[in-house]
Amino acid sequence: MARNASPARLVIALSVAGVLAVFLLYTSIAGGGNPSLAPSELAGRTGDVQLAGLVVGPVRGDAHAGGLRFKLKDISGDSRGSVGVLYTGSVPDLFKAGRHIVVDGELRRGTFVAEPGSMITKCPSKYAPKQSGDSA
Amino acid sequence: MPELGRAALLVTLGLSVYALVAGAAAAHMGRRRLALSAQNALVASFVTTAVAAAVLVAALLRNDFSFTYVARTTSDALPTAYTISAFWGGQEGSLLLWLLILTGFGAMAVRLNRGWARDLIVWVVPVFAAVSTFFAFLVVAVASPFATQAAPADGAGMTPSLQNPYMLVHPVLLYLGYVGLTVPFAFAMGALLSSRLDERWLIATRRWTLFAWAALGIGQLLGSHWAYVEVGWGGYYAWDPVENAALMPWLAATAFLHSVMIQEKRGMLRVWNVLLVILAFSLSLFGTFLTRSGVVNSIHSFTQSSIGPWFLAFIAVTVAVSLALVFWRLPQLRSPTKLESPVSREAAFLYNNLLLLALCLAILWGVVYPMLSEAVRGEAIVLGRSYYDFFLRAFGLPLLLLMGIGPLIAWRRASLRSLTTTFRGPTIVALVTGVALLFLGAGSSIPGLVAYTFSAFVLATIVMEFARGTRARRALGAASWPAAFGSLISRNRRRYGGYVVHAAIVMLAIGVAGSSAFDRVAEAKLAKGESMRIGDYTLVYRSLDERASSNATEIRATLDVIRGDRDLGTLRAGKNAYTIEQQVSNEVGIRSDRLTGEDLFVIAEQIDADGSVYFRVFVKPLVNLIWLAGLVFLIGSMITLWPDRREQRRLVARAAEVGIPATP
Repeated sequence: MARNASPARLVIALSVAGVLAVFLLYTSIAGGGNPSLAPSELAGRTGDVQLAGLVVGPVRGDAHAGGLRFKLKDISGDSRGSVGVLYTGSVPDLFKAGRHIVVDGELRRGTFVAEPGSMITKCPSKYAPKQSGDSA
Repeated sequence: MPELGRAALLVTLGLSVYALVAGAAAAHMGRRRLALSAQNALVASFVTTAVAAAVLVAALLRNDFSFTYVARTTSDALPTAYTISAFWGGQEGSLLLWLLILTGFGAMAVRLNRGWARDLIVWVVPVFAAVSTFFAFLVVAVASPFATQAAPADGAGMTPSLQNPYMLVHPVLLYLGYVGLTVPFAFAMGALLSSRLDERWLIATRRWTLFAWAALGIGQLLGSHWAYVEVGWGGYYAWDPVENAALMPWLAATAFLHSVMIQEKRGMLRVWNVLLVILAFSLSLFGTFLTRSGVVNSIHSFTQSSIGPWFLAFIAVTVAVSLALVFWRLPQLRSPTKLESPVSREAAFLYNNLLLLALCLAILWGVVYPMLSEAVRGEAIVLGRSYYDFFLRAFGLPLLLLMGIGPLIAWRRASLRSLTTTFRGPTIVALVTGVALLFLGAGSSIPGLVAYTFSAFVLATIVMEFARGTRARRALGAASWPAAFGSLISRNRRRYGGYVVHAAIVMLAIGVAGSSAFDRVAEAKLAKGESMRIGDYTLVYRSLDERASSNATEIRATLDVIRGDRDLGTLRAGKNAYTIEQQVSNEVGIRSDRLTGEDLFVIAEQIDADGSVYFRVFVKPLVNLIWLAGLVFLIGSMITLWPDRREQRRLVARAAEVGIPATP
C-alpha cells in the first residue's frame, strides 16, 4: 500500500526536471546569450556579441559625450586582428591601456559599437605572475 | 625557515596517506588499534599543517621576500593586518589555509564523535584523509607556498581594492564554509562505506553543516556589502561566476539542512540527502576550481594557474566514486516510510528542496554554458544577467511562499480544515499588504509586488508562531512575557532560530526587490552651481577639492542634498588616484535614510579638467534591509548553533532506538 506513493514522488521530481529543462532550452537557445569572441574572430560577424580583449592605446574621446575610442586586440597577444571600439557610458575604475576588458555590442562598418555601460574590466591581480599586457 | 615549512607539509602528506591507507585497511579488516593509529595520524596532520602555516605567517610578518609568495603578495609599506591577510590572498596560501581548516575540522569532528559512533568513524577517517591527501599533494608538489628566490628589495604589494577590512574576514568565512562542507560529506561517505545508514551521520554533522552554511551565507553578504560600498558601480551582486561559485554550494546546503529534518523525523529522503551532500561538496570544490583556474571570463579570475586540471580530475573522481557508493548501497537506503500526501509538511519540504536544487542547477548551467557551448559549437556563448534574474524569480518567489507554508503545515497529511484555520490570518495580511502596495504604486514591477505580498505572508506566519508559543509558555507558568519568550527560544533553538533565519531571508527578499525592482537612476554632467533631480531629491554640485593622502590623490565633489524642501546636508563623491599602483578608484557617496532604509548613491563618473563632473545617481529603496538581514541571519544561526545538550541527547537516544543494529 505504502509503495503507491513512491511513483508520486518520482512524478513530481520528473515533472519539475522537465519544466526546468524546457526553460533552460528556451532561454539558452532562443532567448539570451551572446557569443564571446576575441577581436581577431570578429571580422564578418553580425549581431550582438561579447568581445573580450586587451586595450591598446591611445584612448581618446569622452565616454559621456561622443564616446570613448580605443582599440582592442587579442589577449593572446596577436595585434593583427585588432579592432576599433566606440564606447559610451560608465567606465570602470580599472580601465586603461593594457587591461583586459569585456564589452557587449556589434560590429558596424569596421568599428565595434559597444552597448552603453556594458564594459567590465578584469581584476588585475598582484597575486598573479605579471602578464605580458600588464606592463603596457 | 622555508625548509621547515616544506618539511612540515611533506609530513602532512605522509600522515594523510597513512591515515588513508591504514584507516581503510583497519576499517575493512576490523582492526581497532590500527584504526586508532589512523585517527591519530589525522590529528597529527593538523599539527604539522599548523607548523607550516606558522612558518608562512612568520615569513609574512618579517617581510621575508626570499619567499616568492611573500614577495608577490606584500610590500614593506603594507599595514600589518593586510600583510596577514596576504596569507589567503594568493593561491598557494589559500590552498594551505584550506588544508589547515580541513585537517583541523577533521581532527575535531572525529574526536567529538568517536565515543558514540565508533563503527561510523573508522570509515570517516580515510575519507577525510583522502581529501587532505589531495590538498597536501597540491601544496607539496604543484603550488608550494614555500618556493624561494633571491630576495628583491621590496615586494609587489597588494591591489588597493583588496586593502580593505572586508578582505580580512570575507575570504576566511567563505573558506570556512567551503571546507566545512567536507564534514557532512566525509560522514555521509563513512556511513555508506560502513553500511551504518541510520540517522547517526546526520546527527553527528548537523552543527557542522549549519556552521559551514552560516559562514558561507555571511561571507557572501559581506562580499556584497564590500562590492556595494567599495567597488562603486551601484550594485551588490552581478551574477559573476565567482559569486555564483559561493552561492551554489550555499543553495545545496540550504536544501540539505531542510531535507535532513524530514529524514530525522520520518526516515524519508535517505538517498536524496546523500546526493545533496555529494552535490554540496562537489560544488565547493568546483567553486575553488572556477576561482582559481581562469576558465571563465570573470571579474575575479585571479590567475591562470596550473592547479585547474588537478581540481577537475579530483572533482570527477569524487563524483564518480561517491555516486558508485550510493548505487552500491541503494538497497539499504530504502526508506521505511513513504510520502502519504502531496499536501503535508514532508511534501512542502520536498517542494522546497526541488526549487532550491532547480535554482542551484540553473545557476550552474549558466556558469558552465560558455564552456559547454565552446566545446560543442566551437564558440563560447555567455548567458547574461537576464537569464539569472529570470530563474531567481521563477524559482525564488515560490520558495519565498513555501517558507511561510512549510513550517506550519501538518505532518503526514494536512486536511483542508486545518489549512484554513492555520493560514487564514497570514493570507489576509498578505492580501491587504498587496492591495495597499498596489495603491501606493508598487504595481510598476509585478515580481516586486509578488515578492512583497509573499514576504508579508511569511512574516505574518513567523509572528503568529512566536506569539502562540510565547502565550503557551506563559500559560505553562513563565514568570513574565519576556521570560516566556526567552524560554520558548531556548527550549527549541532549532525551530525558533530557524524562524529568525527565515525572517532574515524575508528581509533580504524585501531589500533585493526594493533596490532592484523599484530603484531609480539619473545621470547628468554638471558644472559648479548646477543641479539635478532624481525622485524627490535635488542635488546641487557645489565644489571640487583635491588633497594628497599618504598613497593617493583624493578628488572629491561636494553636493548639497535637498529632499522636498528639507536640507539634508552635503554628500561627497569622487575618485582616488593611487600613485604607486597607478590606479584610479571611484569613491562613492552614500546617504542612508535610517528610517526607510533607502540609499542615495552618488558616483562621480568622470571629472573633467574644467571642474565639471559627470554624475550617476541611484535611489535604492530599502537596500539597507539587505545588510540588516545579514545581522538577523547571524543571530538566527547563532541560536540554532548554540550548544544544546538536552536536544543532542534526545537525538542520540532516538537514533539508538531506530538505529540499524551495530553488528556487521
